[in-house]
Amino acid sequence: MDLSRREFTKTAVLGSMAVGAAGLVGACSSSTSNTPGPSIGGGNPRKGGTLRAAITGGSSSDTLDPLNAINNADFARCNNLFEPLVGLTPGAQPVFVLATELTPNPTATQWTLRLRQGVTFHNGKEMTADDVIYTFQTILNPKAPAAAAAGLASIDMAGLKKLDKYTVLIPCTTPFATLHEALAIPGYSSVIPVGFNAKAPVGTGPFKLVSFTPGTQSTFSRYNGYWQSGLPYVDGVIITDYSDETTQVSALQAGQVDVANLLSADVISEVQSQGKNILVSDGGGWNPFTMRVDTAPFSDVRVRQAMRLLVDRPQMLDLVFGGHGTIGNDVFGVWAQEYDQALPQRHQDIAQAKSLLKAAGHEDLSFTIVTSDIAQGVTQAAQVFAQQASAAGVTVTVQNVTVTDFYGPSYLKWVFAQDYWYYNFYLPQVSLATLPTAPFNECHFDNPAYVKLYSEAIATVDETKRKELAFAMQQIDYDEGGYIIPFFPGVIDGYGSNVHGLVPSKGGLSLNAYDFKNIWLA
Amino acid sequence: MAHVIAKPAPAGKSRAPAPERRAHPLRNVLLKRTAIGVLTLWFVSILVFAATQVLPGNAAYAVLQNTATPQRLRALETQLHLNRPAVAQYWAWVSGLLHGNLGTSLASGASVSSLIGGRIVNSAVLVIAAGLIGTLLGVGLGVLAAARRDSWLDHVLSVGALAITALPEFVVAVVLVIFFAALVWHLLPAVSVFTPGQPPWSSPSELVLPVATLVIVIVPYVFRMMRASMIDALESDYVEMARLKGLPRWRVLLVHALPNGIAPTVQVIGLSFIYLAGGVVVVEYVFNYPGLGAELVSAVSDRDIPVIQFIVLILAAFYVAVNILSDVVSLAASPRRRLPRS
Repeated sequence: MDLSRREFTKTAVLGSMAVGAAGLVGACSSSTSNTPGPSIGGGNPRKGGTLRAAITGGSSSDTLDPLNAINNADFARCNNLFEPLVGLTPGAQPVFVLATELTPNPTATQWTLRLRQGVTFHNGKEMTADDVIYTFQTILNPKAPAAAAAGLASIDMAGLKKLDKYTVLIPCTTPFATLHEALAIPGYSSVIPVGFNAKAPVGTGPFKLVSFTPGTQSTFSRYNGYWQSGLPYVDGVIITDYSDETTQVSALQAGQVDVANLLSADVISEVQSQGKNILVSDGGGWNPFTMRVDTAPFSDVRVRQAMRLLVDRPQMLDLVFGGHGTIGNDVFGVWAQEYDQALPQRHQDIAQAKSLLKAAGHEDLSFTIVTSDIAQGVTQAAQVFAQQASAAGVTVTVQNVTVTDFYGPSYLKWVFAQDYWYYNFYLPQVSLATLPTAPFNECHFDNPAYVKLYSEAIATVDETKRKELAFAMQQIDYDEGGYIIPFFPGVIDGYGSNVHGLVPSKGGLSLNAYDFKNIWLA
Repeated sequence: MAHVIAKPAPAGKSRAPAPERRAHPLRNVLLKRTAIGVLTLWFVSILVFAATQVLPGNAAYAVLQNTATPQRLRALETQLHLNRPAVAQYWAWVSGLLHGNLGTSLASGASVSSLIGGRIVNSAVLVIAAGLIGTLLGVGLGVLAAARRDSWLDHVLSVGALAITALPEFVVAVVLVIFFAALVWHLLPAVSVFTPGQPPWSSPSELVLPVATLVIVIVPYVFRMMRASMIDALESDYVEMARLKGLPRWRVLLVHALPNGIAPTVQVIGLSFIYLAGGVVVVEYVFNYPGLGAELVSAVSDRDIPVIQFIVLILAAFYVAVNILSDVVSLAASPRRRLPRS
C-alpha cells in the first residue's frame, strides 16, 4: 500500500458533498477541481446568513476541547472549529483533510505523515509539524489521556519526530497498520496548536468561536482565512443546546431554528406536515446488546447463539427506528472495506433458539437486561427484545437506569446490557472492544485464536491480506461473540426549507457529521 | 386595626416593656423564623451532600461516560479532587462558602457563580412575573366571582378553575405551544432561546408562553381561595353593617371585605410562589428555558456537587423566605390571629 502515490487531496475533501467521494483507501481521485461540488437541493450555493442549529445531547459538561469531545453537542461545536488529519467521507471512508500523505513502512511500525501547506489557525499562525506532534502528545499524555489515547496507544509518543516543517515521523511501539483508519474517527486527530487553551480555542476549521456557554448556547463566525476558498457559505452559526426532541421539533416548526439533530422516527410525519424536511442517513453507528461471555448463563456459547436467534431484526428496526437503518449481523464496522458482507444473514428462529437453550439446560431462562437512555432508541430496543424473547419462553426483565448510573462504576460489568458506539472501522474497533486488553471489552471476550488473528492483521500492510484476516475474525465474532447487533440505526435529522447542502452521511453523526461549511441558506 | 393591637397580649415568651409591645409579636416571629431558616438550610446542605455521596459514580464517571478508561478516570478524579474523603470535600465547600466562594463546577470547570448567575435571574423573572400576574388575576377574579355569586360569570369561572386544576403544567404548556407557536398560529416563539448574558426581558415575546403557562396553573388556586374567603367576609356582620350604613358597593367590597378576605389567600399565594419555584423545572424543560431547574437536572446527572448544592440552597432559601413572608403578611393582615386567644 502506498498511499502517497494517490491524489486524493482536494477532491476527497472538497468533494465531500458528492456522495461516494474519493476515499483514502481503494479509490482514486476523479477530479482536482478546487470548486465545491454542486449542492443537492438545487440551485447555486448562496453566501451569507446565520445557521441556527438545535442540538440535543449537551450538558454543563460541554467542552470545546476536540480531543475530549464526548456528546453530540461537543461534536457539533468541535467539528466546525477544528479539522482532523484524516476524516470520513459521507460514505464513511477515510479521507485526507489536514494530512496529504500517510505512508507506513513495510512492518507497519512507522508512518510518515505529510501535512497540507498553507493552513492557518484562527489566530493566523500556520499549522506545522510542531502542532501535530503537540496534538499527539496531548492525546497520549499519561497524566491526562484524551479520548483517543486508548485507540492510539501504539504510537510511540517519545519517538515522534519532525522531519521538516510539514512532515512528521510517527513510530509505533507495536505494529499499527490501521493508523489511517483510527485517525479518521471523530475527535481522534483534530489538530490543536502548540499551547492550546480550551477556554480560548483556536483551530483550523471553517468557523471560529465567538461565545460559548456550556449547556446553553455557542456562537461562531466565518473564518475568513479558511484554506478551502469559497467556504464556508454561511456567515455564522448558532448552536443551542436542547433538552429533548419535543422542544427541538416545536422550535423547528415555529421557524426558530434551521436544523435539528437526532430525531426519532415518531416525529417524521409531524415535521413534514409543517413543510419542513427530513434527512435520513444510513448510519454506521451501532447500539449492541452486550452479553458477558465469562458469566453464566452467557458463558455457554449455545445460550449466546440462542439470544441472537430470538431477535426479529427487521421488526425491531421497524418498531424502534421506523425501518430507517441497516439490518445487522452481530458484527460491527458495517461500512468498512473489511466488513464481511458474505456472512449469512441471521434471522429470527425461535425453534432453533429453544433447542439450543434446551441443550444448554436453560429451558426456562430468565434474566435482567440493564438499559438506559444513552442513545436514540436504546430503551425501546430493550423492550422489543424482551417481547421477542418471550416467544421462546425466555423471561427478560428490563431494568432502566439513568445514564449516569449506567456509565458509573458498574459500566463494563453489567451481565446483559446495551451500549452505543459511533461508526468505527473493523480493526480499530476490535482494539477498543473485543480484545482482552481492550479498554471497553464489555462482553469480556477473550478468544486466543481471535487475538492471534488480530496481532497478525495489525502488522499486515497489504490490504487484501489484512482483509482476509479480518474476515476470519468476523467469523469468530459471528459464531461466538458476546454482541447482538440487530441493526445499524438510521440517523434522522430535521431541517427547514431554507436549508441546502445537507447530504446523508454514513458515519453516524447528524447533519453532515456536524460539518456545517457546505450548508447554505436561501 | 390599631385598637385591636392595643389590647395587652404579649406574644410568646417575650416579657418586654409595654411601649414596645406593638412591634414585638412580628419581630419575634421574624427573628425566630429566620434563625430556624438558617439552621434548616445548613441541614439541607448536609442532606444534599450525603445524597450525592450515596449515588453511584461521581463527576468523573458522569463526564467521561463511555470514554472512561481507568487512566482517564484517575486523571480526572485527581484533577477534580474527588479522591479526597467525603468529609474533607464537604468541609472545603462549606469553608469556601463562608469566604464567599461558591466553588467551581466539576463538569464545566467554570465558577459556580458565573454558571448560575444568569440562570438565577432567568428563573427569578419567570417566577416573579408569573407570581405577580397570577396573584392579581386570581384575587381580581375571586373578588369578582364572590361579588357576583351564583351568576353565570361565577359559574363559568368556578368550573373553569376546577377544570384547569386537573391539568398538569406540561399539558398546559404543550397546548399553548400547539395553539400559539407551532401548529395553529405562529404568533409566539415555541421555545425560549436567550442570548447568554442578555437579561430575559430584552426579548419579552419569548417570556409570554412560559409565564402564561405558570399563570394558568396558579390562578385557579388563588381564585378559589379568594372567592371562598370573600364570600365569608361578605356574609359577615360588619359588612352587613357597612351596607346598612349606605356605603357604596365598591367601598364595602374593597375597603371592608377585601382586607379580611385576603388573609387566608395570602397563605395560598405563598404556596403558589413555592410551587412556582419547583414548577419552573417542568416549564423550563418544555420551553428549553435556560433557568435554574434545567441546570439542576443537568447538574444531578453530571454529579456536579457544587452546582447541585448551590441551586438546592437557593431553592430552599426561597422556600424559607416565602414561608416567613406569607406568615408575616397574613399575621399583619389579620390582627386577631397574631394574638393568643384568651
